[in-house]
Amino acid sequence: MDNRKALLSRIVTCDFILAETALFLDTHPESAEALAFYQKHLEMRKTAAEEYAKKYGMLTHGDYNGQNSWQWVEGPWPWEYKEG
Amino acid sequence: MWIYEKKLQRPIKISRPDPAMAKIIITQLGGPDGETGAAMRYLSQRYAMPNDKVKAALTDIGTEELGHMEMISAIVHQLTRNLSMEEIKRGGFAPYFVDHTTGIYPVDATGNPFSAATFQSTGDPIADLHEDMAAEQKARKTYDNILLLSDDPDVRDAIKFLREREIVHYQRFGESLEHVLDGLNCKNFYAFNPAFIPK
Repeated sequence: MDNRKALLSRIVTCDFILAETALFLDTHPESAEALAFYQKHLEMRKTAAEEYAKKYGMLTHGDYNGQNSWQWVEGPWPWEYKEG
Repeated sequence: MWIYEKKLQRPIKISRPDPAMAKIIITQLGGPDGETGAAMRYLSQRYAMPNDKVKAALTDIGTEELGHMEMISAIVHQLTRNLSMEEIKRGGFAPYFVDHTTGIYPVDATGNPFSAATFQSTGDPIADLHEDMAAEQKARKTYDNILLLSDDPDVRDAIKFLREREIVHYQRFGESLEHVLDGLNCKNFYAFNPAFIPK
């Protein structure tokens, strides 16, 4: 697996953990344990996403960082994922 | 993947309840030229598009339409707050009220529930982009008609914003169609489906 894929996989994993924890927090907003767990993975996610945007390009519009073309339009798109 | 942002694309603040107007405006949630159909149409059509710029345009416009569903819902919600039973009956809102109270449910102005039969995803990028341009014009027409029917400035300001977005989307779809046509095989004189060539 190349670095881009490894880093994207890290972001995807963090995002799932964050989504799952957010659902738990929706019905348990005072849970100190869940809040700390969320915070820890949020920081991991931020670090990974910043590195991804810098090295490989935009995951969201807001990742734009002064490049001279709108790299958002460049494929492959997520549904075009190919094995290998 | 989508992430929710806890804000509207443009704030909605309607001070005067008006159930009769709510019954009209809800067609832009559940009606034939409404925002739900728009979002479903564009986000479904992306997969057959041959051009990365067009995939981006459909993704971004489809995403914006999801936000417009929320704006229409907010308008209808605010128009139906704190109603008396008398206002519900006088405003012609009783048939909606009996099924949905003042909850938000996607129907057209005559009460028909939202149907995916109001849009297409043909697998033919040229057919789809022509439909998309028509869809933006049809939605703009509905907003024009709402503006003819409403005299509340709070409602009109929100509707004018949504109407402008239809005009901008129409422009972007026109350019998207040009991109797809420019990329056609030079022997495809009649612009037949470039996304499916039988083996």
